Amino acid sequence: MVTVRIDGVVKRFGEIVALKGVSLEIKHGELFTLLGPSGCGKTTLLRIIAGLEYPDEGRVYFDGSDVTDLKTYERGAVLVFQNYALWPHMTVYENIAYGLKIRKVPRDEIKERVKRALELVKLEGYEDRYPTQLSGGQQQRVALARALAVQPKLLLLDEPLSNLDAKLRIEMRSEIRRIQRELDITVIYVTHDQEEAMALSDRVAVMNFGVIEQVGTPREIYQRPKTKFVADFMGKNNILPAKILEIKNGRATLEVLGHRISGIPAENILGDYSDLYFSIRPEKVSLTPFEGAQAFEGRVDLVEYYGFFVEIVIKIKDVFFFVRVPDLKEPLKQGDNVKVYFNPQDVILLQE
Amino acid sequence: MATVVKKVRHRKILENIFGIPHFDLFAIISYVIPLAYIFIFLIVPLAEMLKIAFTYNGAFSLHWFKSIFSQEFYISPKPQGSLYVDTPQYIYVEGLDFGVILNSLIVAMFVTMLATLIGVTLAYVMYRYTFPGKGIFRVLLIVPLLMTPFVNAYVVKLIFRENGIFNWILHDLIGILPKPIRIDGLVGVMIAQAIAYYPIVYLNTYASFVNIDPSLEEQAENLGSRGFKLLRTITLPLALPGIAAGATLTFIFSLEDLGAPIAFHSASIAKKLITYQIYDKFLSETGYRSPEIAALAIILLALSLLAFALIRKYVSLRQYAMMSKGGRWYIRTVKPKWWQYVIIYTIVLPLVLFTITPQIGVILLAFSKEWSRTPYPRGFTLQHISQIALDPSVRRYVINSITYAFTAILIIVVISVMASYVSNRFRGVLSPIVEALTVFPLAVPGIVIAIGYFYFFASITPKNSILNPLSVSFNPGPILIIAYSIRRMPFTARSIYAGIQQVHASLEEAAMNLGSTRWKAVMGILVPLIAMNVLGGAMLSFVYAMSETSVSITIGSLEMSKAPMTAYMRDLIVSAAGSAHMAAALGFILIVVQISAIILSTVITKQRYAFIGIT
Repeated sequence: MVTVRIDGVVKRFGEIVALKGVSLEIKHGELFTLLGPSGCGKTTLLRIIAGLEYPDEGRVYFDGSDVTDLKTYERGAVLVFQNYALWPHMTVYENIAYGLKIRKVPRDEIKERVKRALELVKLEGYEDRYPTQLSGGQQQRVALARALAVQPKLLLLDEPLSNLDAKLRIEMRSEIRRIQRELDITVIYVTHDQEEAMALSDRVAVMNFGVIEQVGTPREIYQRPKTKFVADFMGKNNILPAKILEIKNGRATLEVLGHRISGIPAENILGDYSDLYFSIRPEKVSLTPFEGAQAFEGRVDLVEYYGFFVEIVIKIKDVFFFVRVPDLKEPLKQGDNVKVYFNPQDVILLQE
Repeated sequence: MATVVKKVRHRKILENIFGIPHFDLFAIISYVIPLAYIFIFLIVPLAEMLKIAFTYNGAFSLHWFKSIFSQEFYISPKPQGSLYVDTPQYIYVEGLDFGVILNSLIVAMFVTMLATLIGVTLAYVMYRYTFPGKGIFRVLLIVPLLMTPFVNAYVVKLIFRENGIFNWILHDLIGILPKPIRIDGLVGVMIAQAIAYYPIVYLNTYASFVNIDPSLEEQAENLGSRGFKLLRTITLPLALPGIAAGATLTFIFSLEDLGAPIAFHSASIAKKLITYQIYDKFLSETGYRSPEIAALAIILLALSLLAFALIRKYVSLRQYAMMSKGGRWYIRTVKPKWWQYVIIYTIVLPLVLFTITPQIGVILLAFSKEWSRTPYPRGFTLQHISQIALDPSVRRYVINSITYAFTAILIIVVISVMASYVSNRFRGVLSPIVEALTVFPLAVPGIVIAIGYFYFFASITPKNSILNPLSVSFNPGPILIIAYSIRRMPFTARSIYAGIQQVHASLEEAAMNLGSTRWKAVMGILVPLIAMNVLGGAMLSFVYAMSETSVSITIGSLEMSKAPMTAYMRDLIVSAAGSAHMAAALGFILIVVQISAIILSTVITKQRYAFIGIT
C-alpha cells in the first residue's frame, strides 16, 4: 500500500499544456479514478505517476518521499496499458513471469505466483497460449495478471476496459473491484466513462483541459457538482442559463425560462454571479404536482422507453428539457401539452 | 429447376477458384494475365531446365547430380589452400577452397552474419539514440544502397591491395599492422558483398524497430526491465521477423551474386563459386544445352528457394506489428551515455564511412586517369564521362539499358496492379497463388533465369528468328525486357500490394453499388489512390532493372551492339586495368540515375525510399 501525493504538476507538449498545475492526494488502499473526456490530461497524469513522463513543474510523492526523478523501473508503480501491451513473442506464462524474473524471484516461486495471478483473473490453464490466441477480454485479464504478479505497491490502470464490449466491461469492472479489495492495494484508475467511474471508485477526480474540476466520492460529485462541466459530464442534466434576482439567507430567487423561482439553495455561490446556470437532474422532475413544487410548461417532443424508466424530452420555449420517470400511467404522444414539477430544493446553481 | 441448380453450381465454382461472387470479365482477366505471364516466362523455363538436368541418355536420371556431388571440384570437405600466405612483402588472404558448392554456402553464410551484425547495430543506434550528427549518419547510410555492378567490388579489391588505401592507412601511416595485408579471392568477395548487402538488413531491421508499439517497451520498463536486458528480451525479439527477412535476402543475394566473383576473378579461387561456374560454362559452351550447367543451376535454385521458403513461413507466423495498435505512437529515443557516445563516434562512424568507400571509389575512379600504383587515384579527368555522352559506340549501351528497363517497367506496372488487386481483394483458391508468384522471382537467382531463358528460347523459337539465342540475327532486347520484367517485378508488386491494403475495399464497393463497373471503380477510385505506391515501386524496379547483371552479361552479351550497359561494364572490368575507369564512369551514370530516383520518390511520393523489403 502506498499514498500518492501530486503537487502542482505542470506538463507541456510543445504548445499544448496537458496539465496546468494539478495537485491531488490519494490515500492508502483507495480506488481512485481520474475521469474526464479524451485530451483532458488524465492519461498524461497517470504516465507521470508511472514514471513514463516527467513533469515540467511540480513533484510526485509516494508515501511522502519524492519520486519525481525516479525512472519508471525504479518506482514499482505498475501500469496496465489501454492496449494491454502484451508481448506477442511470449506466452501468457512468460508475459506474467517477466516482471518476476526481473526481480530475480526464485524459479519455484515464479511458478507459484504466476499460477496465483492466473487464478485471480480466472484464466487457469491458459499458460501456454500466445496473446494473439486470446480474446480481448482474456488479453485484458492477462495484462492485469502480469501487473498483479509483481505485487505492486501501486497499481495504475489506463482505460483498461475501453476495448471490451459492454457486457464484458461490466463484468470486468466488478472483477477489478473484487481483486483490489482482496489484495488491499492502492489503485489509480483512468477512464472517460462516468458510469464506470461511479460504479467502481472510492473517490473520483473529474478533469477537464488539464485542470481538476472536482474531487470527491461518486455520490458527492453526482449530487453536488461544483462546476457546470462536472454537472454536465456526470450523467444527464438539465442546465439552463439563469439570472439571479436576489440572494437572501442562502436562498436565491432567479429568473429562468421566463419564470421567477425562489427558494433555491445558494450557499456555494461566491462573489460575482453574473454567469450562472440553473440545473436539475431529469429524475428529480415529476409530471404530477406535489406540495411546494414549481412548474414549467411545455410540449412533448420525444418519448424514449428504457425499461426501468421512461425519458421524455419536453420542449419548453426553445430549449429541450429532460424528464425521467419510472413509468407513465397514461402514454404521452408527441405534441401533448405537459407541465413539469420540481422542488426548488433540488435545483443546483452552477458557475462556469 | 435444373438450370437454376446448374447456375448456382457454376457460381460456386467461380467463387471457390477466383473468390468473385459472379462472372466478371475484368476480374478474371486480372487473374489470367499475371498467372499466364509468370507461368510462361518463369515456371516454364525453369521446368525446361529441370527436364534437361534430370535427363541422361534420354531417360529420367540423377546422373548429373550424382556426378556433381561426387567431384571434389564441387564438394571437398577437406579444404585446399591455406587461410593466408606469408609472402616477404605482405600477408596474402584469399580463403580456403571447400569446393564450388560449399564455397558458395560458406561465403553466403559469412556475408549474412557480417551484414546482420553491421545492419542490426546501425539500425539500433539510429532507432534508439539521438546524438549530434545523426542527420549526417542518415544521409551516409543511403550511400551503400547505390549499386554499381562490378565496379564497387573492384574498388574493394583496390582498397585491399598491398599498396591500397587500407594498408596505406593501417600500415604505412598508423602502423598498427606490422605487415601489409592483401585481401583477395573468396575473402574479398565476402567483404564486397557484406558491404553491398548490409543495408538490406539495416532497412528491414530499422523498419521493424520503428513498428514496435512503444507501450511494449514501456510496459517492460515499468515492470523493472532496462538497458541490455530490455534489448535482449523485448526489443530484439520483436524486431526478429524484420532481421530474419533482411538476413535471408542477404543470403540469397550473396548466393546469386555474379558481380563480385567477376571483379575478383584474377584470383582463381574467386571463380570457385556456383554462379561463376555456371556463367563460365555458359560462355565456353554456348550453343550446347549442357545438362551439367542445368543441374548446377538447379542446385543453386534449390538453395535459394529453401532459404526463401523458410523465411516466408517464419515471417507469416510472426506478424507482431499489427497486434496492438492504439495509444500514442512515437519513437522512443534517448541520449547516449558517455561510453555510448565513444562507441558511436569511434566505432560506428568509421564503420559507416568504410562501407561507403566503394561508392566514393567508383566516383574517384570515374574521374581519374590512373589508380593502379598508388593508394589514391591520380589525375582528374572528364574524359570517361564525356566519352559516354559523345561516343555513339559507348552511348548506345546506356540507351539500350534505359530502353529495356523502361519497357520492362510498363509491363511490371500492368501485371502488378492486376495481380495485387485480385490477390488482395478476392479470397479464391488462386488468390494466394497469384500473390506468391509475384514475389517468387526474388528467390530465383539471375543466372538461373538466364540459363533457363537460353534453353527455353532456343527450343521454342524458329532457328533464324531474332528471338533465338543461337541465331546469327539474334536480338537480345526482347528477352532482356522479359527477364527484367520478371526479375524486378517483386519490388513494384509489393509496393502496390501494400498500397491496396491501405485502401478499404468498401471504397470500390460503394462505387459499384452506385452503378459503376468494376473496371471503372478500379481505374477511377483505387488506382488514383495508390498512384504513389505505383510510382515508388516502379522507380525501385527501374533502378534495379538498370543495374541487372546476370541475364545482361549472358544473354545480353550474345550481341554486343544490342547489349545493356552492365554487359559492357563487365567487358571493361575483366580487360586491361585502365578500362576500369570507363566502367566506373558508367557506374557513375547508374549512381546519378539512382540518386535521381531517391530524390524523386522523396519529393513526389513523400515516402522514405524503402529499398528492399519482404513481407
